[in-house]
Amino acid sequence: MIEVKNISKAFGEKQVLKEVSCLFERSKTNLIIGASGSGKSVLIKCIVGLHEVDCGEILYDNRDFKSMDIVKRREIRRELGMLFQASALFDSLTVEQNVMFPLIMYSGMSKSEMLDRVNFCLKRVNLVNANHLYPAELSGGMQKRVGIARAIALNPKYLFCDEPNSGLDPQTSILIDNLIQEITHEYDITTIVVTHDMNSVMEIGEKIFFIYKGELWWKGDKNSILETDNKEISEFVYASHIMKLLKSKH
Amino acid sequence: MNIVFHFGRYFIMMYRVFSKPEKFGIYRENTFKEMISLGIGSMGIVAIISLFMGAVITIQTASNIDSPWIPSYTVGFTTRQSVILEFSPTIIALILAGKIGSNIASEIGTMRVTEQIDALEIMGINSASYLTLPKIIAALFINPFIIIYSMFLGMFGGWIVAISTGIVTSNQYIYGIQYDFKPFDITYALIKTVVFAFVITSIPAYHGYYTRGGALEVGRSSTRAVVYSSIAILVVNYLLTQLLLI
Repeated sequence: MIEVKNISKAFGEKQVLKEVSCLFERSKTNLIIGASGSGKSVLIKCIVGLHEVDCGEILYDNRDFKSMDIVKRREIRRELGMLFQASALFDSLTVEQNVMFPLIMYSGMSKSEMLDRVNFCLKRVNLVNANHLYPAELSGGMQKRVGIARAIALNPKYLFCDEPNSGLDPQTSILIDNLIQEITHEYDITTIVVTHDMNSVMEIGEKIFFIYKGELWWKGDKNSILETDNKEISEFVYASHIMKLLKSKH
Repeated sequence: MNIVFHFGRYFIMMYRVFSKPEKFGIYRENTFKEMISLGIGSMGIVAIISLFMGAVITIQTASNIDSPWIPSYTVGFTTRQSVILEFSPTIIALILAGKIGSNIASEIGTMRVTEQIDALEIMGINSASYLTLPKIIAALFINPFIIIYSMFLGMFGGWIVAISTGIVTSNQYIYGIQYDFKPFDITYALIKTVVFAFVITSIPAYHGYYTRGGALEVGRSSTRAVVYSSIAILVVNYLLTQLLLI
């Protein structure tokens, strides 16, 4: 479980987050949604400590992340995995070496144990026979899968996904969404997904936080989001032609 | 104010770079890889530049000696002094600042803009140290060998041009490069080399590490890295010369 309490963040004069409070539950896919520039990516980066918050609290299972020094933060970070928008795979390493990287740094496993774990993780994300390929040789969807495999290599307690579907076709997007949800339930992880893709919302939105102009505007789940009469969220949900069509049929 | 900000951030980064590594074995392995990449990869360009510069110094010295009172071995002597004291440690460092410096800044800068550095941080790794320390250590170890190699080739280039053009005889040239040799000159050159090695790895690493934006900014960081490390080399060269030779 991750809890953020009244966090605010400004870049110079620009206030990006305003007293946001959320409770992200364990074994659920918690979605942070909102329009581009609403502050959702800044929120996830604040939670993992890539940006320092100006005020508020961030609690990882009641452990106050904000007040920790850099050494203690690194210990927490070893418990989390992150899938980046552009996958952020290490260019100079093969798929196998990318997934093995966190194991080499922290696991204390033997080479053969690490290789077994790497193959297990790659199989789990349905990526076989790609061990010796470099990131540049992979499609966008395959890169995301490697990113997920690397994120789960150390059995994380917390999984963060920043726009996991960006640049992917709708079918691959759904596969990646389902994979994230399956892994969340299977390993009992607290997962936070940042997205603006309504397909993802309807597919895996077990708990949804809508950020509007840096504020937490609405929270609920994938069923209640379709029924809300909140103006800003309705504009976001029914922005596309297909969603408008669905609404008119109902 | 801007200079103070960059100095402060550079020293804070260096403090992080020299903190205890997460896994010593990985850093050692990366250091050996960097030695090959930064060292062996620079041998070719260093060889070409050293041979030709040695040859040019020899010709210029010979062409500027018109007095019969100045002995012919002065050509070898001047070539040796120029190569050991200034050409090999300083000019080669400037060349390496261009080659290695732009390489380091663009490599780390690209990692920054593609979120690879964020990925390292998320894994709980000290990214500044992981990416920079092996490069600094590798350069500190390998650059003295490159400079000694450059010194040898510089004097060898001078010898080839001397005997092929007949401006001085082989014996006179070799006598000249042995004449009044002071071992401290090598020590002085190697002290400079080690300091320059630190400059040409740490300054580009700093510029790469703090790159913001996209591909355009990576290019700008790379240019800034070469410019600032070259200026730093010239300033440090002056300070060390004042300190060690006077």
